[in-house]
Amino acid sequence: MNTATAVQPPSRLRQFWLKWRFHINVLLLLVPLGFMPKYFADVALFRGDVGLGEREVGDIQVGPWSLKLAELRNEAPRLDGAAGYMKSFNASLCEACIPQVKATYLRIGKPRSLRAAGGIFFGSPYRMGATVPVPLKTSPDAELWVTMEGWDGSMHQGSVPLSKASPSTVAWLQKQGGK
Amino acid sequence: MPVSDLLRRLGGAALLTSLATFSNLALAHNPICECKQIEGGQIQCTGGFSDGSGAPGVTLDVIGYDESILVPGKLGEDSKLTFKRPDAEFYVLFDAGPGHVVEIDQADIEAP
Repeated sequence: MNTATAVQPPSRLRQFWLKWRFHINVLLLLVPLGFMPKYFADVALFRGDVGLGEREVGDIQVGPWSLKLAELRNEAPRLDGAAGYMKSFNASLCEACIPQVKATYLRIGKPRSLRAAGGIFFGSPYRMGATVPVPLKTSPDAELWVTMEGWDGSMHQGSVPLSKASPSTVAWLQKQGGK
Repeated sequence: MPVSDLLRRLGGAALLTSLATFSNLALAHNPICECKQIEGGQIQCTGGFSDGSGAPGVTLDVIGYDESILVPGKLGEDSKLTFKRPDAEFYVLFDAGPGHVVEIDQADIEAP
């Protein structure tokens, strides 16, 4: 008489798991695929393949010169630690002004002086970037001022309403309720 | 190539992607300046950068509304400068170089 009890065979699910558990790891390959659309969109944005920025503002006349302005990202200002909320813009100088312009600055509100002209644009004149602080108490009808300094020592200024330069920033300011 | 090597490489790619995503602002080091009124009618300003570094030796001028420089100063080793509150209307300009400035209007300097 056989007294040994039969060994319970593993369930079908367990069998499947034991047989395939190593190969199922290949599914992990799909994880980075989820990040790829954002990655390639960012690469195209920073390379300039999709234009100057996510949203073009247009040409701004600054004395005898002009520049094409764009929002780097079509979104509300981003918080940068203790420096407060910052907003990034890109710009390209007009062909004729490239040899004449030494520096280009960006500021919300009219600058008091050339020293306090705001954030400076850096990078190639065909595609340069500047980041400006956006104080929480900025009025929604404020203007974005561009100050350009020439190699000959001349200085010219131009402005564009913030509502035209960055509607998303104005919408964000209105949501802050003028704190 | 063994699958484990492949996975390791893909993990590296995912890490680079996330770094590229989150470093946009981290790369910038925007200037920071805070001023407060302390006892004795003095004002103390502290400068620095948003990456956490201090700003010893950086210029900090107190400028009148008429653009005359009331107090030409430099931040000390502790990134701070203390000066007497001017009688005239003024603003504070933390000047770490062209385009790296912070302006603080007198109206924004809190009383103790």
